[in-house]
Amino acid sequence: MTSTVIGAGITIEGEVSADEGIVVQGTIRGKLQVRDGLAIEAGAVVEADVDAGPIRVAGQVTGNLTSSDRVDLENGARVVGNVKATRITIADGAQFKGNVDMDV
Amino acid sequence: MANGSSETVLGKNVRIRGRISGDGDLVVQGSLEGDVTLRGDFTLDEGAEATSTITARGVVVAGALEGAIVADAEVTVTSSGRFRGDVRAAQVTIEDGAVFAGRLDAEFDLPPELMSEPGKRR
Repeated sequence: MTSTVIGAGITIEGEVSADEGIVVQGTIRGKLQVRDGLAIEAGAVVEADVDAGPIRVAGQVTGNLTSSDRVDLENGARVVGNVKATRITIADGAQFKGNVDMDV
Repeated sequence: MANGSSETVLGKNVRIRGRISGDGDLVVQGSLEGDVTLRGDFTLDEGAEATSTITARGVVVAGALEGAIVADAEVTVTSSGRFRGDVRAAQVTIEDGAVFAGRLDAEFDLPPELMSEPGKRR
């Protein structure tokens, strides 16, 4: 469904903004803005503030996650930062350090 | 979408400002502002725009690129491609219809009949 894949061997340092879904398998440092779904896969490293639609994390994130929808931290995820979303799940095996703001 | 070969595709609606580096191949369909250093091939698709210095193995320009290209292998500016800047590569192809403005530095040996021409500069 998503046409944008940032592959495992790739490092982006800077600002990424997209009006479509993104799959991250590589490394992003800087800022990440996605209008649609974002998947941070196992092995991916994101050192950035993230603003997106639904976010699924199985990789490593250092930075704040803000979602207009939901955030799912899956088994193997490692997140250091604050999470802001309307719904959040933290799976068994996910590591998370930070605050959760569910905007209630 | 083979899993082993690491290809990165930045879709039409993706904008990047910054540096990109890596091992695999990269296809840009959206817009890019910043330098690219790759061990694989770089492709700027038709409709895509970039302002960058591209260092890669092979480079295909089918979109609009402003900047420079340094390639170990072949550089192709396709019929839909527009390029402004300098190119250094082992082999360069500019297709019919392509727009090219800049310097071209391809490493090749001149045929002997040209080598012996007296019209040497300097």
